[in-house]
Amino acid sequence: MWAYAVRRAAIGVVLLVAVALVTFVLFFATAANPARLACGKNCSQQQIKVTEKALGYDQPLYVQFGTFMKGLVVGREFPADKEVRERNPELVTDCGPPCLGYSVNVGTTVNSLIVQAAPTTISLAVVALVMWLIGGVLFGILAAVYKGSFIDRGVVGLTLIAYAFPTFFIAVFFLKYVVIKWEILPYPGYVTIADGGVFTWFENLLLPSFTLALVFMAGYVRMTRAFVLESLGEDYIRTAKSKGLRTRPVLFKHALRAALTPLVTMAGLDFATLLGGAIITESVFAYPGLGLLTVQSSSSFDLPTIVGVVLVAAFFVIVLNILVDISYAFIDPRVRLG
Amino acid sequence: MKLRRTFAATAAAALGATILAACGGGGGGTDTNSSGDTESAKGGTLTVLQHFPFESTDPQRIYYGVELSWFRRLLYRGLVAFPMDDSNEVVPDLATDTGTSSEGGKVWSFTLKDGVKWEDGSDITCEDVQYGTSRVFANDLIIGGPNYTLSYLSSLDYPGPYKATAKQQAAFDKAVSCSSDNKTITFHFDKPWADFPLAAASLMMTDPYKKSFDQGDKSKFKVLSNGPYKVEGGTWSKNKGATLVRNDEYDPSTDEPDKLRLALPDTIDYQIDPSDTAGELFNDRLIANAPADQTAITTARVAPSQFPKITGSVEDRYQNPESPYNDYLVPNFNRLKDVNVRQALAAALPLNDYVKALGGDRSATASETIVNPALDFPDNPAFADDADNDGDPDAAKALLEKAGVQTPYPIKLGYSKSPTMDKAMAVIKEGWDKAGFDVTLAPLTDTYYDVISKPDDDYDVTWAGWGADWPSAMTVLPPLFDGRPNISSTTCGNDYGCYDSDAFNKLVDQAAEATDVDEQKSILEDADKQLGEDVAYIPLEITKFNWLYGSKVTGFTTTAASSSYPEIGLIGVQQ
Amino acid sequence: MSDQKTPGSSRVGLGKRGASAPATGSGSGSFLEVRDLKVHFPTADGLVKATDGLSYTVERGKTLGIVGESGSGKSVSSSAIMGLHRGTRAQVSGEILLEGTDLLRLSNEEMRRARGKDVAMIFQDPLSAMHPYYTVGNQIAEAYLVHNDVSKKAARARTIEMLDRVGIPQPDRRVDDYPHQFSGGMRQRAMIAMGLINDPGLLIADEPTTALDVTVQAQILDLLQDLQREFNSGIIITHDLGVVAEMADDVLVMYAGRAVEIGTTNQIMTKPEMPYTWGLLASVPDLAGDPEEQLVPIKGNPPSLLDPPPGCAFSPRCRFKEHVSGDLCTTQLPELTSAAGATHVKRCHLTDSSVLKQEQPA
Repeated sequence: MWAYAVRRAAIGVVLLVAVALVTFVLFFATAANPARLACGKNCSQQQIKVTEKALGYDQPLYVQFGTFMKGLVVGREFPADKEVRERNPELVTDCGPPCLGYSVNVGTTVNSLIVQAAPTTISLAVVALVMWLIGGVLFGILAAVYKGSFIDRGVVGLTLIAYAFPTFFIAVFFLKYVVIKWEILPYPGYVTIADGGVFTWFENLLLPSFTLALVFMAGYVRMTRAFVLESLGEDYIRTAKSKGLRTRPVLFKHALRAALTPLVTMAGLDFATLLGGAIITESVFAYPGLGLLTVQSSSSFDLPTIVGVVLVAAFFVIVLNILVDISYAFIDPRVRLG
Repeated sequence: MKLRRTFAATAAAALGATILAACGGGGGGTDTNSSGDTESAKGGTLTVLQHFPFESTDPQRIYYGVELSWFRRLLYRGLVAFPMDDSNEVVPDLATDTGTSSEGGKVWSFTLKDGVKWEDGSDITCEDVQYGTSRVFANDLIIGGPNYTLSYLSSLDYPGPYKATAKQQAAFDKAVSCSSDNKTITFHFDKPWADFPLAAASLMMTDPYKKSFDQGDKSKFKVLSNGPYKVEGGTWSKNKGATLVRNDEYDPSTDEPDKLRLALPDTIDYQIDPSDTAGELFNDRLIANAPADQTAITTARVAPSQFPKITGSVEDRYQNPESPYNDYLVPNFNRLKDVNVRQALAAALPLNDYVKALGGDRSATASETIVNPALDFPDNPAFADDADNDGDPDAAKALLEKAGVQTPYPIKLGYSKSPTMDKAMAVIKEGWDKAGFDVTLAPLTDTYYDVISKPDDDYDVTWAGWGADWPSAMTVLPPLFDGRPNISSTTCGNDYGCYDSDAFNKLVDQAAEATDVDEQKSILEDADKQLGEDVAYIPLEITKFNWLYGSKVTGFTTTAASSSYPEIGLIGVQQ
Repeated sequence: MSDQKTPGSSRVGLGKRGASAPATGSGSGSFLEVRDLKVHFPTADGLVKATDGLSYTVERGKTLGIVGESGSGKSVSSSAIMGLHRGTRAQVSGEILLEGTDLLRLSNEEMRRARGKDVAMIFQDPLSAMHPYYTVGNQIAEAYLVHNDVSKKAARARTIEMLDRVGIPQPDRRVDDYPHQFSGGMRQRAMIAMGLINDPGLLIADEPTTALDVTVQAQILDLLQDLQREFNSGIIITHDLGVVAEMADDVLVMYAGRAVEIGTTNQIMTKPEMPYTWGLLASVPDLAGDPEEQLVPIKGNPPSLLDPPPGCAFSPRCRFKEHVSGDLCTTQLPELTSAAGATHVKRCHLTDSSVLKQEQPA
């Protein structure tokens, strides 16, 4: 199994390099001139050239990519202009490996931007994951067990409604009514556990996480329902009943155990995607996570940050993919020993 | 910078999330809008609900209009500043007077007052002003701020303080020199700069900056104040804002508080929410007027969808001034070469219906020139003479006939896509189609201005927006229509229609050489007439702002000096 | 459990022919008596009568073979004995008397207690019938624990004992294996151990050998025969007449949800009275017989249970229809009537079954 994990990790690294390269190429395929944007409206062609050079955009794509890859391995120092660094040591920003680059837009390394943003996104994703798993699995089982009844129809109907509304709409609805009109909850803004304690942290996460969870929950209710129903139709459930087992162990020990396997896969991958940033939710609730960083960096054509965020998101997806595959071994003995 | 912000404003208008940056302000076109409640209440906490992040709080990098005018009141005093009214008259701030000029406007001197200090207690010196001015030249490090000084000192070939050789630095220190007592700074420009004090008041490119505080990019969000407030902790949080508290080193006796900054609240709590929906939600909160929001103002304009809620007591907390922004249409001179065709477009434009489509009186006012009324500039006769602004299809048809072109004449109209713009542009299409044109609408997204400034694009007419950097048409007409700096083989720059007229350029040169502001202005009026005759642009509307504020906010006023944003220097809160 | 056994009932070894008491009738000695059992499934297309008025008895200590094609209702009727249709849409009516107690009248909880303890069942495909995520031992012990208030340790010991009895080598080690680590035959042995762990009075084996290799089939059948002492009575459901011949005392032949012939194994195997039974026998090769002998397959397909043919359900496939006067076969459902012997009943309009013998191959 270790050999397997190592092999997967190696493929993951290759994949990350490819992702970085594709992001570079796509970025330079856009019509915008990032140097001109950065320089400002009254910049002459020559001033734009100076800015372009300072940002490193004057180099051919492969040189820029090479510089970036080298920075990942050995680190970099900014500003890129060596002469400036030597003459003004107080300006130097050190970016140790794995250096993802430097955002001129924010005036700091991409690494520190990501380190700042990641806890927000991770908090959001974890709370949302817990919410949607609990809600989704619970309601899914309920719908499956009472298949065809009004409970089933009600649950499935509600999930369809939740599914039909875009995240953006749900988020704005919560803000407009739950927060502003009815004043049930305070206006959410991200507070770290260190700053406000667990309760404040959670209270502020409630609405954004719930918004995020709602959309996923709808899918998980339907999936859980389908998986449990499928599992309930299996021969081993008939065996379990024939032994005289009570309903609960039949459902939870036998049916759910099998239904959980695909759910773990889905949850792992959905969670991985979320770790890359919940763009809409973070944008609407102004949560300074990776999603907001993505939006802000792409609207300001901040290439190093864009590449950094994309890489981190890809990293999460790859790692969780590997973890999900390894977790199979623990869930399904046929994989472990087969 | 401004053109991008204006574009963003239009793109986001549907959400009411309007990001607008007025660069500079001033001028006596609009009436001062006062909240009536003029009792000045010292103390308390003012909340500022801001719906977009500042790109920097480094004075030499700031180019957001509202940030320039507010920080001028709160954190960064300039050599000179605009008073909190609609006059165009600059008043001394850090300097003892509004500057003395010689050599026909080429040389400007300012002497610093005694007792003006940084928040760390050190004196503000001429070297600080010199250093601040020099930073703007470092295009490789101080990226993005206003840099007009570069074109007035272009002979220096100075790369900024971080890279300059000793010789280059010496040449700069000579061109921007300090007196031996380190009190008086003298700028020796290459050419006359008649309205330099206006520029120095509006922008911060000649503001002082303490060299020992400079860490290049790392000080992008660090604030060393010399105004009545300072940033708690010294660092501005890009996505969260900051709390401003009183700066003990600020001495009001060196200032003219009644003219420049009352500094009433003890604390100013900047709450930034950069989300798409923040602007609309902030205004929802101000409409609801919950206790926590009663002492709040916002940078976000009320969205048209919220207009119906502005009634009764809410209306008492509402103001609707004209903004410093004008929108206009640009005929593409590489395609529409016949002036009659361009005139036909102007004649047929159903401007009143277009304004209605934008949201009516609360959103816009029809304009007769590209120059904002805040600049106290006359209407352009080429557009004012048709009077009613309803569009005249018959006159347009006659002009097309005179041009001898085949009708319907095809027109591709490019604009920056948003639901409001889709509606408004459809109105223009309807009016033009009636007059013998066949209009194709081309909504664009993303890098709008990069696309429409290409010399070989196939748009016949494009939409654009602009606002002055300081109250002078010098920051409107030359940057937009002087083909010489704008047009290259790959782009027409800000001259989106690639207009290039010798007659116009000659007038621009004359204006630039003018030694005083009035002379300069009358030359620019002629230049605008020339543009009107050539139909280099067709004016659309002056954008209007819609502000709400909490019920315990006092002294709420918008001025030309505050870019029609709330004049923060006058605002206080009831306790 | 041993006290449930009737010591007096002599276990007559295997495959006895003609030596046993009649399987039909409502004698008070019957261990299991099924009366007019109907299992109907409402579907979108209409009512599927999977079992329609089935009656039979299983005497104490005897094994009944139920034979029929797929869809004839054999498994459905047995599932009804286990109460496995409870909580589904199936409509079950009639009586299922186990030692005089009507299982259909039991509450769900009472039925649950009976399941696995009084009546146990083993299934066709032991791979799918066992949960892939739990060890074999866990699954067997679970069956014991639910009916006996004993420690897990005791349950494990009992499990190992049962695994040993069904012939699993090294049971103390294999008890912790997962189903996929067992061979097909071992899995079925484990299933049998699971079925017998509570000493049930009645064991229902639903096609216990069908999914297995031929060589393994024989081993499992041998095991079942050895274990017949373990349970009082048995029902073996199969489509394989060879299995019936080996295992059953009596035989019930089912077609389209109904019993079509009931008799002792000997009667059914040697003197079938119903053309369908005859057809089944004719389609089975006799290894001991003439290799040149022609097999006679039953033509056509089993009828749709949604829309069964009128009259005798077998009539569309019956090659002896012309021996019945008029259109009786296609208009009137024949009753179960006595055939040659008192213990032998059939559902057929054919009065002279000698025609079957005339045509009987070999």
